[in-house]
Amino acid sequence: MKPQQTEVVIVGAGPGGYAAAFYAADKGKKVVLVEQDKRLGGVCLNTGCIPSKTLLHASKLVAEAAESGVRGIHYEKPRIDLSQMRAWKDSILEKLSQGIAALAQRRGVEVMYGRGYFEDSSTLRVETSEGQKFIRFGKAIVAVGSKAAMPTAFDLGNPRIMTSTEALEIEEVPGDLLIVGGGYIGMELGTVYATLGSSVVVAEAAGAVLGGADADLVRPVLRRVEKSFKEIRTGVKVQKMSTAGRQIKVEMEVGGKNIAELYDRVLVSVGRQPNSDDLGLANTKVTLDEKGYIKVNERQETADSNIFAIGDIAGGVLLAHKATKEARIAVEVMTGESSTFEHIIIPAVVFTDPEIAWCGLTEAEAHEKGITVEVSKFPWSASGRALSFDRVDGLTKLIIDPKSERVLGVGIVGAGAGELIGEGVLAIEMGATARDLAESVHPHPTLSETIAECAEAFYGTAVHTYSRRK
Amino acid sequence: MDVRVPRLGEGADSGTVATIFVKEGDHIRKDQPVLEIESEKAVATIPCTADGRVTAIHVKEGDVITVGQLVLSIAEGSEQSAGEGGRRVIDVTVGDEEEDLHPLPAVAGPSADAAVPVESAPVASDIPEKAGLPPAAAPTVRKMARELGIDLRLVRGSERGGRIIVADLKRYVQQLQQRATMTQLTPMPAGVPSRTPSRAAAVDFAQWGPVRKEKVSILRKTISARMSESWAAVPRVTQFDEADITALLQLKKNYDKKYEKKGARLTLTVLALKALVPVLKRHPIVNASLDEISGEIVFKEYYHIGIAVDTEQGLIVPVLRDVDKSTLLQISLDLAQLAERARQRKVGLEEMQGGTFTVSNQGGIGSGPFTPIVNVPEAAILGMGRGMLKPVVRKNRIEKRTIVPLSLSYDHRLVDGANAARFMVDLVQAFENFNESDLKAGL
Repeated sequence: MKPQQTEVVIVGAGPGGYAAAFYAADKGKKVVLVEQDKRLGGVCLNTGCIPSKTLLHASKLVAEAAESGVRGIHYEKPRIDLSQMRAWKDSILEKLSQGIAALAQRRGVEVMYGRGYFEDSSTLRVETSEGQKFIRFGKAIVAVGSKAAMPTAFDLGNPRIMTSTEALEIEEVPGDLLIVGGGYIGMELGTVYATLGSSVVVAEAAGAVLGGADADLVRPVLRRVEKSFKEIRTGVKVQKMSTAGRQIKVEMEVGGKNIAELYDRVLVSVGRQPNSDDLGLANTKVTLDEKGYIKVNERQETADSNIFAIGDIAGGVLLAHKATKEARIAVEVMTGESSTFEHIIIPAVVFTDPEIAWCGLTEAEAHEKGITVEVSKFPWSASGRALSFDRVDGLTKLIIDPKSERVLGVGIVGAGAGELIGEGVLAIEMGATARDLAESVHPHPTLSETIAECAEAFYGTAVHTYSRRK
Repeated sequence: MDVRVPRLGEGADSGTVATIFVKEGDHIRKDQPVLEIESEKAVATIPCTADGRVTAIHVKEGDVITVGQLVLSIAEGSEQSAGEGGRRVIDVTVGDEEEDLHPLPAVAGPSADAAVPVESAPVASDIPEKAGLPPAAAPTVRKMARELGIDLRLVRGSERGGRIIVADLKRYVQQLQQRATMTQLTPMPAGVPSRTPSRAAAVDFAQWGPVRKEKVSILRKTISARMSESWAAVPRVTQFDEADITALLQLKKNYDKKYEKKGARLTLTVLALKALVPVLKRHPIVNASLDEISGEIVFKEYYHIGIAVDTEQGLIVPVLRDVDKSTLLQISLDLAQLAERARQRKVGLEEMQGGTFTVSNQGGIGSGPFTPIVNVPEAAILGMGRGMLKPVVRKNRIEKRTIVPLSLSYDHRLVDGANAARFMVDLVQAFENFNESDLKAGL
């Protein structure tokens, strides 16, 4: 069978892959986008960012309704129709996925559904429903992503032991739910299930949940989940799981004591692993690190000069927007532009209640690296906007280089923090100083004012807080 | 604790390790010299900044090292802890004060600091790495820099917080271009083999007879670079004249003993320096520099005179500071000391910088007039030959007089012929009507 020729082939149509395909096509390249799933969009769209946010929105409605009594609005206890909720969620995913397919078509990107397998450094075999197809490519971008890790010890083949993928399907609302792993996925899904009525226990191996975020940003989240979750346990070793009738028996070591408990369901959210197996990478010069991620340089180039790798499969932080940025870098490098991932700020948002968002240098990181910084904080209890909707459990802070007054990091916890962090990214990318932020007028009454107030607080002149002037 | 190569002085970012004074295991004291770097026109010693024991030496003699390079590791002797980080980098700084985070690119050439003809791009190691702080610049600016292959850490940002904007990048590129033009004329010494070797390199001289080969020293490379630079960049004219120093020599004779008693030696160079300064003051253009980049003439209101000193290794030009403010006695003491240190190559780099005018006296060797080369970025240099008895017609009679040949080479871009002639006339006058009170001062 005569192989099909193309300039660029992209393996994986997630937020890295489709962005790369579209950008390469926009730059005049002939592009084939290969996706093994029947729906485009990858984990982000199908089993990650988007479905989790739709469910979090639903749980936010429930939580707000429940808390509205103090405002004189009294709701009945909500009746939750899971299948309708699922259908609503799926309709959103379908809409987005179709949007991507339509955009591909308008750009002349050929979408090929099937598993891609590298035969060599310039041939990709695709297992489609119509049989094998071969693609001879000039350049390939590997964007096959990652999947939720399921340690073999927990993998009993019991559907009551879920990863995030299954948990997002909300087949039922379990009475007792154990979440193994208190990272952002565990905490977000815990929020969903707790609001829907589950009694949630989080078991985290480390000393704190939501590692990576500064402790003062995590605190308001903890304060809230203390009420909505049954328990958050840290320093826990989950040793064994076994099927116990319609339940799961979980043995774990908590505070030096071995205990065994029964749960209706268990969500295992202990991390993600790269999809680098069974991709034929051994037939190319691409090299992997010890965890199985593809090794790339800051130009997204692999050890094989024909092949780039982007997104989760290239390691680093496993976030959709990082994949999208890397897609642009890979395509630019491929088309001869000088582009690199160096000094690029990748913001992080945890969609718990309240949300946590940060970008650039964190306070903990500054201490660790011995970088002298000054931290300016503005509590949301001083924000009229936050008060107006009863969410003063927020904090905005700036990490500032005291010498140049440059903003090096921004951290926010509070309702809608994710929507506020973009300004922080822009400030850092632009090399803005605290004064630049202080002097930019922020609209009143909005939460964005907390960023300006924070910058003013650095100079000791914030309107709505008092600190000694410098 | 680490000892790193300090800033060696304006424009000097590398050197060769000449001598290492310590060995591993040695206990050394604060300020004790640990090694000697031969750099451009001088040997500089690097002192240690703390007491301790040498745990490792990271360089060997003959290594070319650059600013910021790790040379020595020291375990501090006292019980004092090494700080939270466990390791502490001590910046040993010679001469210059602490650098900025983004230092203004330094000037190429050892004595080119007075007026800045071209800013050179410092090597990356010149810039103190501040962990985790990339240069402050917008993504578009960073992209542009990447496309141009420019390390933004070398660019000085003009905006608040040192933020680099497109205009800063443009300015930097212009400077690089200027420097590239200059570098073509002036090969950089010490391991910068950018220059096309001259034809001589390709010739096998041994085919015509026995030859002896000697490695070109750093000093010789520097001299060669500086001379080529001056030759190529400066349109030079040499103005000749003669001064009758019979009376001056008589005065000198009268005072020689008195100076000797003070441990000083009256030489013609010393007297010339004293005669020279008031003339320079009357002709400020001769004490000026041309700054082509800013399009400015820089008139210097100080009088630092470079003295060409003949050393075993070659020519060195240390600078005598504020000659206008010193008495003749002081000048003679300072000069003797400076020349001696130059001969021992103990002159620091900064002592060879900042000259505003240079004097080269070959009289001691016994030769006649010559055409010296302007010591850029200065405007002029005075060459003095041997004073000789000559028959001179004075008041219609032939007299025996001692005549010294003077030659003033000047940068004709800056100094017009008439200026130079007037300067020379005044200088001859200053020699011939030397003020005795200058000799008495300070005695």
